[in-house]
Amino acid sequence: MQAWFEKISKMFHMAFVEGDRWKLYLDGLGVTLQIAFFAAILGLAIGTVVALMKLSVKRNGKKTVWAHIANIYIDIIRGTPSVLQLLIMWFIIMKNCTNGTLVAVLSFGINSGAYVAEIVRAGILAVDKGQTEAGRSLGLSKAQTMMYIVIPQAIKNVLPPIGNEFIVLLKETAIVGYVSLTDLTRAANQITSRTYEAFMPLIGAAVIYFSIIKVLTVLLEKLERRLRKSDNR
Amino acid sequence: MIIVKDLHKTFEDNRVLRGVNYHIHQGEKIVVVGPSGSGKSTFLRCLNLLEVPTGGEIWFDGQLITDPKTDIDKVRQHMGMVFQNFNLFNNLTIMDNITLAPVKLKLMNKEQACETALSLLERVGLKEKADAYPSQLSGGQKQRIAIVRSLAMNPKVMLFDEPTSALDPEMVGEVLEVMKGLAESGMTMVVVTHEMGFAREVGTKVLFMDEGIIMEENTPAEFFANPKCDRLQEFLSKVL
Repeated sequence: MQAWFEKISKMFHMAFVEGDRWKLYLDGLGVTLQIAFFAAILGLAIGTVVALMKLSVKRNGKKTVWAHIANIYIDIIRGTPSVLQLLIMWFIIMKNCTNGTLVAVLSFGINSGAYVAEIVRAGILAVDKGQTEAGRSLGLSKAQTMMYIVIPQAIKNVLPPIGNEFIVLLKETAIVGYVSLTDLTRAANQITSRTYEAFMPLIGAAVIYFSIIKVLTVLLEKLERRLRKSDNR
Repeated sequence: MIIVKDLHKTFEDNRVLRGVNYHIHQGEKIVVVGPSGSGKSTFLRCLNLLEVPTGGEIWFDGQLITDPKTDIDKVRQHMGMVFQNFNLFNNLTIMDNITLAPVKLKLMNKEQACETALSLLERVGLKEKADAYPSQLSGGQKQRIAIVRSLAMNPKVMLFDEPTSALDPEMVGEVLEVMKGLAESGMTMVVVTHEMGFAREVGTKVLFMDEGIIMEENTPAEFFANPKCDRLQEFLSKVL
């Protein structure tokens, strides 16, 4: 028992304390969070705009050219692996850019936008058509009806799947090692190859991801409860 | 006030309206009855272009509103509409439901709108519900609020699309009372309904629609006492 305990504490020491290795995890975590945070904001912005584009119709009920553009974007992004999108962004589209974090933010933001667009679109469509008709019948424009009536209700609908998307996004950033950024996953991996001991760094990184996502989940649940107040159910 | 000329509406290959002609004058209370699927709701929804007609013309206050160049939002400010399913804005309090449009369309400032809303709410006996959300109200209360919401825009005409059809029977009366009060105040009204009592009592004209046209039109007394066409006789024998 004593020997086992000593072994564990030696492993822990080697993985986190020796040579101030805990700083590497912290730096990695910083990169992970930075990319995830800004990509989430970018994704939300792109997704909302693309959802509105996809829902736009002409007076005669036909799809607009914007709707077709939105469809093409969503098709391409969802039809290709995100690792590949990241590599294309890094090696082809932005090959002259030396700021890896920026490239990652753009790549993940554009990727996430396609998924967010479909979530937002579903959220808007789930708002009863009568709400729009009532708004329009009072003389409010399409945009005003969207802004003051439909979107506030759609936000409640989209919160759970958006939370889901953000969680996926946060974990998906673990692939930035492909473009030589050192995020949490890569930091753990590097330490593993330095100490020839995989257990502590990898499990440690997993625990960190888990804790952050758990906190995120709790916050989202709180927000959801607050927004549901007017529902009375 | 509203002139409808040869109005047609087709959904896919379903011809719902097949040439409706009618002239609604200021202050009239037009009640539209007919079997389901007769096109009466579609006719009403065409009047404020919630359904875009596939043919024909609608004139409102001398303006051709079926012209694609018309600013329909402007026109709709003068036409109130009350729906079967109330359609109160679920995300807003009753007060905000009523004041949203007048304030956002810059017809009133916030205080004026609140004042108007409160006096209208008082008229329908729901002043104490101003801060409630729609989900906290009964169907009858919701519909009375929906009427108030339209009235806050100070419309020239009010359109009612089966306003009591989604209500529990004991709540129909309270909504009809409000509509009667509105009629007495001189409002021009077009009401699609199954309430024959209301048609008889409040209507200045009753229209019978079937198969996408107005089959018969008469004063309430004549309409119910001496129905001329067979379809109307058959319809009345079922509903009365």
